[in-house]
Amino acid sequence: MSSRGGKQKKGNVTSEQEEEEQPLQAVLVADSFNRRFFPISKDQPRALLPLGNVAMIDYTLEFLTSTGVQETFVFCCWMSNKIKDHLLKSKWCRPTSPNVVHIITSDLYRSLGDVLRDVDAKNLVRNDFILVYGDVVSNIDVSQALQEHRHRRKVDKNISVMTMVFKESSPGHKTRCEEDDVIVAMDSKSKRVLHYQKTQGLKKLQFPMNIFQHGSDEFEIRHDLLDCHISICSPQVAELFTDNFDYQTRNDFVRGILVNEEILGNQIHLYVTQDGYGARVSNLQMYDSVSLDMVRRWVYPLTPEANFTDQQGQGCTHSRHNVYRGAEVSLGHGSQMEENVLIGRDTSIGANCHISNSVIGNNCTIGDNVVLDRAHMWNNVHVSSNVEIHQSVVCDGAVVKEAVRLNKQCVLAYNVVIGPNLSLPEGTVVSMHHPEEEEEDDDDEFLSDDQEVGHTFNPAEVGPEGKGYIWKASMNDTEDEELAQCLWAFQLEVLGTLQRGLEENIVCDNLVLEINSLKYAYNITLKEVMQILTRVVLEYPFQQQGTQLTTLQYTGSLLPLLKTWSPVFKNYIKRAQDHLDCLSAVEELFLEQDTHQTAMVKVLMKMYQLEILEEEAILKWFSTGATNDKSRQLRKNQGVSTTYRAYTEQQERHCVGKGIFFSMEGAVRRTSVCGTVRPVQTPGLNTEVFLSSSAPEVYPVVERSRG
Amino acid sequence: MPGADKEADLTERIEAFLADLKRGGCGTGPIRGSGETARETTALLRKVTAQARWSSAGDLMEIIRKEGRRMTAAQPSETTVGNMVLRVLKIIREEYARSRGSSEETDQQESLHKLLTSGGLSEENFRQHFVHLKANVIEAINELLTELEGTTDNIAMQALEHIHSNEVIMTVGRSRTVEAFLKDAARKRKFHVIVAECAPFCQGHEMATNLSKASIETTVIADAAIFAVMSRVNKVIIGTQTVLANGGLRAVNGTHTVALAARHHSTPLIVCAPMFKLSPQVLYGQFLRPHGLVFALTCTILSKVNVHCPVFDYVPPELITLFISNIGGNAPSYIYRLMSELYHPEDHDL
Repeated sequence: MSSRGGKQKKGNVTSEQEEEEQPLQAVLVADSFNRRFFPISKDQPRALLPLGNVAMIDYTLEFLTSTGVQETFVFCCWMSNKIKDHLLKSKWCRPTSPNVVHIITSDLYRSLGDVLRDVDAKNLVRNDFILVYGDVVSNIDVSQALQEHRHRRKVDKNISVMTMVFKESSPGHKTRCEEDDVIVAMDSKSKRVLHYQKTQGLKKLQFPMNIFQHGSDEFEIRHDLLDCHISICSPQVAELFTDNFDYQTRNDFVRGILVNEEILGNQIHLYVTQDGYGARVSNLQMYDSVSLDMVRRWVYPLTPEANFTDQQGQGCTHSRHNVYRGAEVSLGHGSQMEENVLIGRDTSIGANCHISNSVIGNNCTIGDNVVLDRAHMWNNVHVSSNVEIHQSVVCDGAVVKEAVRLNKQCVLAYNVVIGPNLSLPEGTVVSMHHPEEEEEDDDDEFLSDDQEVGHTFNPAEVGPEGKGYIWKASMNDTEDEELAQCLWAFQLEVLGTLQRGLEENIVCDNLVLEINSLKYAYNITLKEVMQILTRVVLEYPFQQQGTQLTTLQYTGSLLPLLKTWSPVFKNYIKRAQDHLDCLSAVEELFLEQDTHQTAMVKVLMKMYQLEILEEEAILKWFSTGATNDKSRQLRKNQGVSTTYRAYTEQQERHCVGKGIFFSMEGAVRRTSVCGTVRPVQTPGLNTEVFLSSSAPEVYPVVERSRG
Repeated sequence: MPGADKEADLTERIEAFLADLKRGGCGTGPIRGSGETARETTALLRKVTAQARWSSAGDLMEIIRKEGRRMTAAQPSETTVGNMVLRVLKIIREEYARSRGSSEETDQQESLHKLLTSGGLSEENFRQHFVHLKANVIEAINELLTELEGTTDNIAMQALEHIHSNEVIMTVGRSRTVEAFLKDAARKRKFHVIVAECAPFCQGHEMATNLSKASIETTVIADAAIFAVMSRVNKVIIGTQTVLANGGLRAVNGTHTVALAARHHSTPLIVCAPMFKLSPQVLYGQFLRPHGLVFALTCTILSKVNVHCPVFDYVPPELITLFISNIGGNAPSYIYRLMSELYHPEDHDL
């Protein structure tokens, strides 16, 4: 309010009054644009998943409404109809709602960037707005942050474009999400963000010197902040997203603004709150901890018994040790609800059960002698007797038969049947969808009948009466996944370009130009361009003539191609490091295509002859690269097969270097080149961490759904 | 249709009020005092009376009851809302009885014998239509509103009878009524106030600041020091959130400690409570969220730690010496009588 009072200064009063009368707006992105909740989110969008028996989007809307937002734009993409139905039925769409909700759906949104570009295109926001995801749970009062934001914009003539809301919480706190772990350098006085970086488990972080050189004399580098994913944005944010069409996420945006600060003069600020609660349910681990925090009342006044969604029959009572009971709950003789338990309406629990730290939905039945600890059960779940569930999620309609034990971090997706007499190992994900049907048509919701013909349930995995398929723990990481998608699209484009180049006989210089422009459009590094290019070229024969090629046919069609495109390669491969990167890309491809490994020698030879690769680089690669058995095998193989060829060539050329190269053959020398760890993005495939020296082996980060 | 417009406007107002109640709650220093809530509730009920469609007192009572149920459900810990609904229901009953020409006193006299013999005053009796009933009810609600406006002043006026020169007075947390009470006494007398800070929200600090601004000699003590300091205290004056039907209190956390310490030292305990805080309901403690102080501790073990932060204490009536309400001082044992004067027994369950 005080900032509003402060606005009454001078100038044209009318426009200021208009400004004041404008309602506070919010943009709510009801899509995560990633698959962290797969396969659960295959049946239900993430924003509608229940947290404490209330859909997550309701928490976000309640948060927005309580901060005084009067107009909210909800953007949905995945399963937009369900979200729309839910919202139309909820209290937000009643005529008396203080917060007018507009639902905007489109299947074309692929990222936060697309949404904000659409906001700009449709000219939806007129003033500062709050940007949140549909899975943010918070009770932070952002009005203070809003005031500060407005004040800054008033004083500094629209320089500050965004205020990010952070909550103070020391490292190691369980609601801190590992992927969202950030380190922020800020100006203590003006609260301006100078540097923003995700730690991603790094032990060593680097800060550019220039952030310490200008401006004020007090800086803070903070690692005790929890990103609430709530940002107060000025209308410029949407415009900036339009101008920079390569911004996909808020992270891109923040980095872009900070890097271009000198040029564009835009700044980002942050607001740190000490009390209040704010977290984004970005994966199942976060789901577990936010759900418990909710039951433990950290999100007051958004507590289960408050029934803030105003739905009939959702009310429940709250008693000691945070035990909440809905209407018509029956509890058998000798059953204990130890602490932090929420039980939905019409749920019945058998005798001698032991329940702690759990949320149980509506209409569930639970048998006798059941132990539930940190179990998250949704609606209509049926659990038989003698079951133990630890830190797991059980979705709607799932059935757990007699004497089943779910160990930590299991997920039973919709309508799965498990058991009897089975123990699921830690981290098992069971779904009615077969993992391979993933790429099939998404509209086909009811294909389970057809599927059963194709795939049969494995009794060893899901029990004699079980229904469902085991999903392998997914290896995707959000950011990497986004990047991988981006790279995949880029790879397709490059392929198209080369194809066209070949068909229409385009000069290589023009191809380079085209690829360069693609590089900017997809915002990827030179190194990735080079690796993808190598990959595309090497896969080209497979692409054209199918994968059943013999090695001879393969080399036959590849070698001329290499010759044609050698100028393109030369353009990208210049420094010594580029050579190594190119080689590792070649190696990687041939590791996958292990039937064609012998072709590698020819390819390398050709590349050497075309002066794409230098011999020192090949030597270096050969001597340092082997990180695992397979690649060592590859080297050996190829070494043996090249020996003969190489010797002849050596005689032809009298090249000393070559001699060294092949005298080393068989004995892979381990040099202690400084171990640089280098993640290699294989488009569309798993993310692997690749070491270019004899540094200890690093395994891919296996992101599995934790309970 | 102006009528439809009016009704839409009415529902909108009710919704807004409900939303406010849900979010506001109380505890961290209420966003507004219970006095304000009481006034708003009453004003809203007056609006309902004026704008809703009803033809007889029975209809109106039904409407008020329905809205009342929703309002009390919105924030169960805020009892004043329910109290005001009961008051309005009682007013309707009285006005109806007056319109019929019978004296309301006859209804009042409850006895075991009468309860057994009569079938109770059932709803059918409220079906009769009276032209002036609406105007009369609104008039009576307006009177109630005026009464609510003056409660704090009425209580403060009695301050000089209870606070004498050079006394040491203890209070706990922050209560607007107690603050007004002490300030009023300070105009004529000099005395010393000791304020227990009431951690973790420390409303006591604010209270102490306000009192010292009114040039009252004020000391803030930690909650743990209450017992130690009590021996020096002449009188304990506290506020409360609710006065329960048995004369007990539901008051801010720490009040029970003060009351027990006062009993141990035989110090009189005076409760300043306006009549609208008198509730026929008996409720249990409300828990707020755990407070941030614990957040700063080692967080790795936090998943195993439960943090509870109860907001209200129940103080049994034996520990209370005197209630000072806007209609004068009363002993806890007399509360039942006030209760039956204010509310109709049939309304106790909404």
